[in-house]
Amino acid sequence: MVSPEQRAASAPTGERARTIARFLIPKILQCLFVIWATYTVAFLLMHALPGDPVLAALSLRGGDATSTDPAELDALRARYGLDGPLWQQYLTGFFGLFVGDFGTSIATGEPVIAMVGRAFPHTAAVAVFALVVGFVCALAFTVWAYIARPAWMRDVVTQIPPLGIAIPAFLTGLVLISVFSFGLGWFPASGTSGFASIVLPGITLALPTGAIFFQVFSAAVFDAGASPFVLTANAKGLAQRTVVTRHVLRNALLPSITIIGLQIGYLAGGTAVVETVFSRDGIGRLTVDAVLARDINVVMGVVVVVASVYAVVTLIVDGLYGVIDPRTRTRLLRGKVSAR
Amino acid sequence: MTILRRPGLLVAALVLAVVAVAVVAPQLIAPYDPFASVGSARLAPPSAEHLFGTDHLARDVFSRVVHGAQLSLSAAVLAVIAGLVIGSVVGLVTGYVGGPVDFVIMRFVDVLIAIPGILLALIVVASLGFGPLSIALGVGLGAAGSFARIMRAQVLRVRAEEYVEAARTLGVRGPVVLARHVLPNAARPIIAMAAMELALAILSVSALSFLGFGAQPPAPEWGALVSAGRDFVATAPWLSLLPGAVILAVVLAVNSVARSIRGDR
Amino acid sequence: MTALLTVRGLRVDYGTGRGAHPAVRGVDFEVNAGEIVAVVGESGSGKSTIAHALMRLLPVEAHIRGGEIRFDGTDLRTASTAALRRVRGARIGFVPQDPSHSLNPLLRVGEQIAESLRRHQGLSRPDAAARAVEIIAEVGVPDAARRAGQYPHELSGGLRQRILIGIAWACEPDLVIADEPTSALDATVQRHVLDRMQALAAAHGTAVLLVTHDLAVAADRADRIVVVHHGEIVESGRAGDVLAAPQHEYTRRLVDAAPGLHSGRLRPSVGVASRTAVPDAAPLLDVRGLGKTYGTGDRAVAAVDGVGFAVPRGSTFSLVGESGSGKSTTARMVARIIEPDTGTVLLDGRDITGVRGGALRQLRRRIQVVYQNPFGSLDPRMTVARLIAEPLRAFGTGRAETQATVRDLLDQVRLAPELLTRRPAQLSGGQRQRVAIARALALRPELVVLDEPVSALDVSVQEQVLQLLVDLQAEHGLTYLFISHDLGVIRQISDRVAVMRGGRILEEGSMDEVFHSPAHDYTRELIGSIPGRHVAEPAASGAQVVRD
Repeated sequence: MVSPEQRAASAPTGERARTIARFLIPKILQCLFVIWATYTVAFLLMHALPGDPVLAALSLRGGDATSTDPAELDALRARYGLDGPLWQQYLTGFFGLFVGDFGTSIATGEPVIAMVGRAFPHTAAVAVFALVVGFVCALAFTVWAYIARPAWMRDVVTQIPPLGIAIPAFLTGLVLISVFSFGLGWFPASGTSGFASIVLPGITLALPTGAIFFQVFSAAVFDAGASPFVLTANAKGLAQRTVVTRHVLRNALLPSITIIGLQIGYLAGGTAVVETVFSRDGIGRLTVDAVLARDINVVMGVVVVVASVYAVVTLIVDGLYGVIDPRTRTRLLRGKVSAR
Repeated sequence: MTILRRPGLLVAALVLAVVAVAVVAPQLIAPYDPFASVGSARLAPPSAEHLFGTDHLARDVFSRVVHGAQLSLSAAVLAVIAGLVIGSVVGLVTGYVGGPVDFVIMRFVDVLIAIPGILLALIVVASLGFGPLSIALGVGLGAAGSFARIMRAQVLRVRAEEYVEAARTLGVRGPVVLARHVLPNAARPIIAMAAMELALAILSVSALSFLGFGAQPPAPEWGALVSAGRDFVATAPWLSLLPGAVILAVVLAVNSVARSIRGDR
Repeated sequence: MTALLTVRGLRVDYGTGRGAHPAVRGVDFEVNAGEIVAVVGESGSGKSTIAHALMRLLPVEAHIRGGEIRFDGTDLRTASTAALRRVRGARIGFVPQDPSHSLNPLLRVGEQIAESLRRHQGLSRPDAAARAVEIIAEVGVPDAARRAGQYPHELSGGLRQRILIGIAWACEPDLVIADEPTSALDATVQRHVLDRMQALAAAHGTAVLLVTHDLAVAADRADRIVVVHHGEIVESGRAGDVLAAPQHEYTRRLVDAAPGLHSGRLRPSVGVASRTAVPDAAPLLDVRGLGKTYGTGDRAVAAVDGVGFAVPRGSTFSLVGESGSGKSTTARMVARIIEPDTGTVLLDGRDITGVRGGALRQLRRRIQVVYQNPFGSLDPRMTVARLIAEPLRAFGTGRAETQATVRDLLDQVRLAPELLTRRPAQLSGGQRQRVAIARALALRPELVVLDEPVSALDVSVQEQVLQLLVDLQAEHGLTYLFISHDLGVIRQISDRVAVMRGGRILEEGSMDEVFHSPAHDYTRELIGSIPGRHVAEPAASGAQVVRD
């Protein structure tokens, strides 16, 4: 009898490539769809709601001295890509995304992509810091809660991380500034210079991020810990360390990494507050200023960038997960043949 | 009642009771007029006379916080109700109907969840203008996505239950099955989630008003109070920290109640 | 000679304080070296709790409140966790119940055996891996070297269970505790797996503590039987003795109810009025060429392929087969829950295959269904009264008439009227199933499709429900299409039976024909897999009870 390996090995590489493609292509399409749908939803929201964006933005800038001469307004509209029928704006805007043309900022007159490009690295630095610190702390708390005896200690440990979400980010930020900047002088209270300036904002964001990681991890670990194969592992008389790392954690953490995509969204929102509190340049501040100035081109640009990052990260994570999990991997590498 | 045996829940209930009074009848708790200055003591630290101290315009901060409860919480409650209603209806229909309709709608819901709540709210605010109503709508839209997803998951779970199929074989008509079997069994987790979403909504609403998009000064919305106190963090930190602490306390209290609805220990 | 394992006064509670529920109330028993002891009990008897308690593998909410667990001189109850981890796997092995979730899905199966070898026997990685392959071969898995490198999801349920047995025996323990090791498997597979376990025990001189709900299985395999009821041991003794002359009333009930230990169809109880059967020329249900395929292209699987049979009015026709045989799918097509791809279903001469919409709804009055899972098919939020009334209300019966009918139905299924206001969670499995039957009868159907209606029930309850079904059939002239994987159960209720495998009917005939002169090898194997056959009918099997 021919075993599936033999069959797979002798299968033409075209066959293998086709099954891998069948796995990846829907995910890539999903990624593109998210970007398109985000753009569409944002576009609809911005334009379906009442008010003339150009007029609003200009009047904010110029106050009562704004001219309402129709010809001038039309010229301005053309300049910011806000002229013509809605569907035309929609399509030009959408296709512009692919060539990197996100329009022009109404407030500053700069190309949006340039503004976003400048702000992005600062935000990314804080976001990555928060992700890493949050992940590590959540993991530590999860393991601690799992092996803690007696029961009251486990209860206490489990109550601590959810506080991370309950504390408003601006409060954490201000407290940290009070204590560590004005009080102890260890870290700067504002600015974007050097690693030290990342620490306090990073910790501020790490709290809710870590809390969300913890909730997912602990639920997964709790489920895994109660599952039959952990009973088998214990019945085999394995050392507790082996049971926890090899059997519980490995099975629990795997599905948990898919949450990283959602975290991106959460972080993107959180940076608005954090960058304001710490007076840092970044996407968040950019958005806030843009909203205050009714600068819809910048707002659209930011939203699309955030959605793209989310979609791409999700794509990578999902793809990775599919490869790491042997159940999916078997299906991929061995084609449609399921071994019996 | 067993509530007495759980001190955490008891404290939470008390906090919420006080807050409820503050929302409905703030003048009962607040000793001073939130908009008027009380004497010449500016930036005074907390004392017996002024529980939370005074701000740079010599207004009693405690009174301002009490009066702000109404503004902050009504926006949050409105947001959750909007999200719950819109999201549940979408989730219920799309989960029961299934097929390509379900697929398309759920992809849009995915997007709604992908766009971070604050950004979504910012978009709405940018178009509609500032104010608590815009914030409520924006936060509500974001919450609607989560509700839709959970409602749909519940509907799918219940729909697969044998008693739903059994009802069809007993001759019960489709819409009746939906109303009598699917909805009641799917609703319980939604209610629990609504409570959690309320806590998140309070945080989002105060964050947005902190950024300046809520009710304009001199309205004593909580987030705005924290923001106003920022300039004085070095000299009079209580201006920001105390209203912030109140937000934290309320969020914890709502969380505690939400967890007990959900059935956690 | 002292016993290998001595248990005295074992007590286990679930929960603490005032909510504590005693699951095991002081049990005493022994297991000697090399012998097989079966612990028999129904669900909730505490037998599984005992098995887990011996190695202190209980869930967090369970607490051992007292007693002594002497294993080769050490009291396991008071031993340190470190000492316990040295005993587990090395001197006591454990075979868990559920093969589908008891193996780590991310590790290769060979590695899951090797892990134990490295830990207790100090073997090096390559040595342990090689020995693991030997063990896999020893438990009867063909192509052992290749299988060792596979993941659990690539193996069938029977193979996974063999791997679990291999894990338990890997370090040559003195005792193996097996907790319902074959309950989740098909009957034919069950028999082979148990055969293998018995062979291993004999070859290595291992003592086995076999926990099972099936008295017939215990009768087949064990040297001694211990019967557990409500957390206490009500009877114990040599297997043959316990079965031939049960001392305790509960044991007697179990022996009487075990389907494998009896022959013959149940007859309507004395006093049940029976409708004189009008000989009908045409069958009530006529199925021809039924087929259903899932999937498309080369991934298509024919769940049902060319199935046809006829059921005379007032009789019971059974479909028997293992999982994947297509019997459930066929039943659901007959009940018009799913659409057949090919074939016709004729009810009383009328073609109902393509019926839809309003006509389909009206059809529901004539065909009703009773499902397998008594909890799943009843809406947990509705009271018994509402549950039974639902079909009546759906067809517009008035409130007063509905109430009267509901009471009458409850009486017919022998349930007390107080149960009307209870919810399913407050009823036992048997009671729930009676409610499901009452509900199915509400519209006075002619044909009732029963999909494994007693499979989820305890043995002693099974018989009562089957008797009820037989009585109702006589009273109302009902026709049954009965689906089951359990030939023993089918024997008690059917007039005619069809054996299914792979979506096709292999053979069909009257109950007696198929049972005593099976035409097909597969049928013979199914019959042979009924546990307890050797004990029940030594004359039929032509030999005395023989132990290997």
